[in-house]
Amino acid sequence: MPVLYSDLLLDHFRHPRNYGSLEAPDVSYEAFNPLCGDRIRIEVKLDNEIISEARFKGDGCAISMAAASLLTELIVGKEMISDEELISALQSDIQPARIQCAILPLTALRDGLEHR
Amino acid sequence: MDELFQDIQKLAQAEKRVAMATLVTTRGTSPKREGAKMWVGEEGRILGSVTIGGCVDARVIAESEKVLSSSEPRLVEMKLADEDAWEIGFSCAGDLDVLIEPVDLANPNGNVFDLYRTVQTAVDRGRRAVIATSLKDSSLKLLIVEGEEVSGTLGTPALDSEAQSVATDLMRKRRSGTVSLGPDSLPVFFEVHGPPPTLIVFGAGHVSMPLVSLAHDLGLKTIVVDGRPRFATRERFPDVDELLIGIPSEIAETLAYTSSTFVVLTAHDYKYDLPVLKVVLPAKPAYVGLLGSKRRGAAIKEFLKDGGMDESLLNQLHVPTGLDIGADSASEIALSILAETVAIKSGRGK
Repeated sequence: MPVLYSDLLLDHFRHPRNYGSLEAPDVSYEAFNPLCGDRIRIEVKLDNEIISEARFKGDGCAISMAAASLLTELIVGKEMISDEELISALQSDIQPARIQCAILPLTALRDGLEHR
Repeated sequence: MDELFQDIQKLAQAEKRVAMATLVTTRGTSPKREGAKMWVGEEGRILGSVTIGGCVDARVIAESEKVLSSSEPRLVEMKLADEDAWEIGFSCAGDLDVLIEPVDLANPNGNVFDLYRTVQTAVDRGRRAVIATSLKDSSLKLLIVEGEEVSGTLGTPALDSEAQSVATDLMRKRRSGTVSLGPDSLPVFFEVHGPPPTLIVFGAGHVSMPLVSLAHDLGLKTIVVDGRPRFATRERFPDVDELLIGIPSEIAETLAYTSSTFVVLTAHDYKYDLPVLKVVLPAKPAYVGLLGSKRRGAAIKEFLKDGGMDESLLNQLHVPTGLDIGADSASEIALSILAETVAIKSGRGK
């Protein structure tokens, strides 16, 4: 049974990986939750549709920030990952009401790839 | 200060020469602080006031006309006895010194008008500036602009050096005044200018709305930052000067923080509070206040301390924000916050 907020989630929140911007990214896209105010921008570089580098910036809750940080690690070398993969990687008991928080960075990435 | 530059611009369109009267020293109580100005034009236009009007300003006008005729500056001492003060309805009964200088608006290069244009440019760039004027010879002036080389002189390098130290202190206090310098106690008037006070509010919630309206009424420039377009709207903030929507901590990095900047975080949400405080506290504005209880404030400080923030910076955080006046409603909380910023601005805050 996963814990509410795993050590891994808290560590990514307190020490986010790949926080920042890329020089000349192929995709830069911001997604936000209009009510709670979480706002995440994902930037990636592509190599034949494969993501070669990823960065993020944003202000959000522990779940959305940790999810963005994890996403920038998991996505490198891939075209995309699923919602389930990202949520599972958080190793936490993400309640239904907080799924939106967990997938916000993925939403930014998907929308960014679509709008490029 | 905006008013001063506006007055100069207005006069420059209509007058060729004006007398600039500056309240440089007050002894006892006075309705206006040092630095108050009155302009008397050669064509008769009058702007501003060095007192509350009445006979004292009338005398300043008469003296200004003499200055315009002679083209010589003069320092006018007004020693008001209590009886006189009562008689003319000047309830404050303080003694005043007013420096009156002729200003050529038609040929600004190199004169006082030019000096004020330089000050205005500095202020527009968000910098503070001080004009130090010898009250023994008002043609001796030293201009000190924050972060720039000084220009002009008070007569000797030693006086200029001492004046720079005094100017730095007065800039911090945002207060003009006369200070005696050197072994001969030369009286020098320090006129302090700076950007208008600005209130930056992070969070566009219900407390922020009356906060911005009240701040606007108090003459502050206001900026509201939030990540939510549905909250940060003109409809909710009709008086706000700037409404910025985006990642709050990223916007925080782009804003200027001076000794005239007051920052209040009203989101009551760690997702904004933590990243914004990481940016704002090291920038050392005049005030940083956080909406929330002491307990919540302690937790936020602990988190920032764990992240490596210096204790001295954390001590600058006012939490709960606002004076303890028993505020309950959003408007009352806004009032308490602004009361604290006024106290800080006038050097009475903790």
